[in-house]
Amino acid sequence: MADLVLGSIVRKNWWYRLRAFINANLINLFAGGLFALLAVFLLYPIVSVLVFSLWGDDGFTFDFYAEFFQYEFYYWSFLNTLILGLATMVILLIVGFCFAYLTTRGPLWIRKPLKMIALLPLAAPPYIFSISLITLFGKNGMINNFLQLNFNIYSWTGVIAAQVLAFLPLSFMMIENVLNAVNPSLEESASDMGASEFRIMRSITIPLAAPGLLKAALLVFVMTIAEFGNPAILGGRTPFLAPDTYLMITGEADFNMASVLSVVLIAPCILIFILHNFVLAGKGYTTIVGKPTATELRPIDPAIKVPFLILCISVAILVLLSFGVIVFGSFVKIVGVDNTFVIDHMLNTQSNLAIWNSFKVSLGAGLFGAVVGTLLAYVIMRGKFPGRHVMEMLALSGFALPGTVIGVGYIIAFNRPPFLLTGTIWIIILNCVFRFLAVGVEAGISKLHQISVEIEEASADLGADFLTVFFKVILPIMFSAFVAGFIYTFMTTMMSLSSVIFLVAPGFDLASVYIFLTAQLGELGVASATTIKVIAIVVVSMALLKVVAKKTGLDVQKQGV
Amino acid sequence: METAKPAMLELQEIHKSFGSVDVLKGISARIAKGELLTFVGPSGCGKTTLLRIVGGFTSATSGRVVLDGEDISNLPPNMRNTKMVFQSYALFPHMTVAKNIGFGLKLQKWSQKKIDARVEELLALVHLEGLGGRSIDRLSGGQQQRVALARALALEPKVLLLDEPLSNLDANLRVVMREEIRNIQERLQVTTIFVTHDQYEAMSISDRLLVLHQGVIQQIGSPVDIYERPANEFIAGFVGYVNFLEGRVDSVQNGSDSVWISTEFGRVELDHHQKDIAKGDSVLMVIRPETVTLSPWNGDEGQNSFHGTVQSQMYAGNLAKYTVKFGQKEMVIDHYNPMGSRKYGKNEKVKVTIPRNVHVLKRKAD
Repeated sequence: MADLVLGSIVRKNWWYRLRAFINANLINLFAGGLFALLAVFLLYPIVSVLVFSLWGDDGFTFDFYAEFFQYEFYYWSFLNTLILGLATMVILLIVGFCFAYLTTRGPLWIRKPLKMIALLPLAAPPYIFSISLITLFGKNGMINNFLQLNFNIYSWTGVIAAQVLAFLPLSFMMIENVLNAVNPSLEESASDMGASEFRIMRSITIPLAAPGLLKAALLVFVMTIAEFGNPAILGGRTPFLAPDTYLMITGEADFNMASVLSVVLIAPCILIFILHNFVLAGKGYTTIVGKPTATELRPIDPAIKVPFLILCISVAILVLLSFGVIVFGSFVKIVGVDNTFVIDHMLNTQSNLAIWNSFKVSLGAGLFGAVVGTLLAYVIMRGKFPGRHVMEMLALSGFALPGTVIGVGYIIAFNRPPFLLTGTIWIIILNCVFRFLAVGVEAGISKLHQISVEIEEASADLGADFLTVFFKVILPIMFSAFVAGFIYTFMTTMMSLSSVIFLVAPGFDLASVYIFLTAQLGELGVASATTIKVIAIVVVSMALLKVVAKKTGLDVQKQGV
Repeated sequence: METAKPAMLELQEIHKSFGSVDVLKGISARIAKGELLTFVGPSGCGKTTLLRIVGGFTSATSGRVVLDGEDISNLPPNMRNTKMVFQSYALFPHMTVAKNIGFGLKLQKWSQKKIDARVEELLALVHLEGLGGRSIDRLSGGQQQRVALARALALEPKVLLLDEPLSNLDANLRVVMREEIRNIQERLQVTTIFVTHDQYEAMSISDRLLVLHQGVIQQIGSPVDIYERPANEFIAGFVGYVNFLEGRVDSVQNGSDSVWISTEFGRVELDHHQKDIAKGDSVLMVIRPETVTLSPWNGDEGQNSFHGTVQSQMYAGNLAKYTVKFGQKEMVIDHYNPMGSRKYGKNEKVKVTIPRNVHVLKRKAD
């Protein structure tokens, strides 16, 4: 078919021929380019980490792994990480369940406020809770001082508490979805047959929700073991994998050991990914078609309501308090010691410079990420080349892998030719683009799912060639996905710490890195003030995202999880 | 073109296979200028694939598509003068009604003034006056259908292609839009191919039907041909209910223009209007339920009559439906306008009379 069409235009000018060539091959050209980008900026760094964990001065070796399992310091850092993950997972499963139970089945007056508070931590970077916990329970912490406690926040308790608060939204959202999917009429019929509230929960609600709860728990586990900020700030002398990887690089410049730690950190993630996608795939009970109908509110037995409420309200108070002290700390001289009002922290030049740097980086990452994400979604959905699934998996993998691992990978991969990027702003931007690609791609894919291929065929039918279709129809239609990808990447880049901390050049501070460093040094005022600014930017972004979602009917929240 | 009525579109020996599956097995058809031809058949029969081959969205494995004397088999959709109304309408969600309709005109580099005038004309044609500025998502399903039709007609295509255009509408609207599409088509005299899986829709809108089954044309003909003179068992059963009765031709009397056929229930005398029927042929009679007459059993099997027992009966106001059993066989009989006439109860003995003009299918020699 192409031969004949091309044959008739051979005699036309070169521009016409170029256009015909692009028309016939544009999607494949895009696919090739995107594959190359994914290979260089995602696959290459990850493979580099793997190679560096096995490749010493004398070539291939298992020495580094042997070393890892020989020294207490190393393998305890692994075990500690698992313990932290498990503890956080169990606590969040309970807390998340209580929150979700109350917001889906509890008294009406409490549903909305509880839900808002459970989602509040989304507006802040996870390490905000380290700062607020230090402010509250540190050596000069407000509560420590007030109650004359001698509580040490730089401990297991501190790290776990910070992690629980930071990942409450994730756990809550997933469990709420699960509980929403349990048909209320099943619970009602159990109640009708004389089952007590507790009995219903034990024998109806929880068994039906079990597969979903398990999935939620696994995801929480993966996210918490990858978290860098909280264990780094509050961990004290306890070794954890993510912060230790950072120390290996900054303290000892030991890239091989950093790689080993990274691989060890990925291992449970991959295991759980496999479990999640293959073993648990399709598990779950679909007991309903469509949304649960508005049924008569079932009063909850006080024996359940009271303990649930006590737990949720205490956690909610802790969340609100955490945000409160951050605001408070931003405007007083030395929080807990000298509570006189000052504006200095807010005006701190270094802090503002860091915010400005972050803003630039996030803007760059947002724009570039949205372009790449939108094109990837289009190519994955409409392309006809082999390897589309590999491409999709690759594009989504950045999201699933721990930030520290990709950070180490970038440092190893891009500090030598042919891709010498270390020390530039570009390495940070590219890192964030490819780490947070998933949301842009998913938004694009879901947009394209809504749009029938017939739209593109219709344009061709009306006389448009591929270039016209692409620019006049596809891009405008995908614009909302583009905007969603942009805002989301912008937002996450603004808060991201675990990966970029490896990549910032000395003297070039990003907001997140600056918060981390000042918090470590105990300069809580500046740390709080900088956090407040980040939160402000994030909240504005979220509001914009919501507007876009509402205007275009794009389901962004689902992708945000 | 030797024939009097020149073909606007000609399909020549079109084959299409997806891998090892043959979807279309040699389709040839001619569509006259101004004609509305319907591709109809059960799902999976290849009708949509055939339409997409005409539109250029799929290429045929072999065979040619000739449009107004020009071979367009190898042209991409944007270079053919055929325009399609898609099943999902495929309206551009980011453009207004007027922009959608004018999209093709704009690509043809028409001046905005001319586009505006043409769009107005089309809006009037599809009864959407004043809605040019509306956005697509603020239209009802029927209105979207009209926009899609106007957009396809904007460029005055030589052939208009309609891919199950009514399948997304509710039952009442389907009838309204069906009549409207036919109306516009007849007014503009635009050659049209209409695809549907709904036999009644096909019967009521078409000049001719092309019935596809398993990748082969079963019959091309007018609605009357299809119903009254089906080419085979499939066609006979495709539209409306049918009772088949096997038989063998006893004798053909050329003088009296009668054919005698013997069946397991007795001999039947029919008009001899199918000249290809010869003595000794094994045949299948196509007996439509509404052509059979029912009368009380009086102990006398007259000409073309058998006696049977009412197995079940259903009264629906405009018709009474009976299932009558003869030996092992059952026959469905529709008695239209039963008001005032005799009703029959279950297990009642009745006489069934078959008309002389029953259509007969010749069975292939085994």
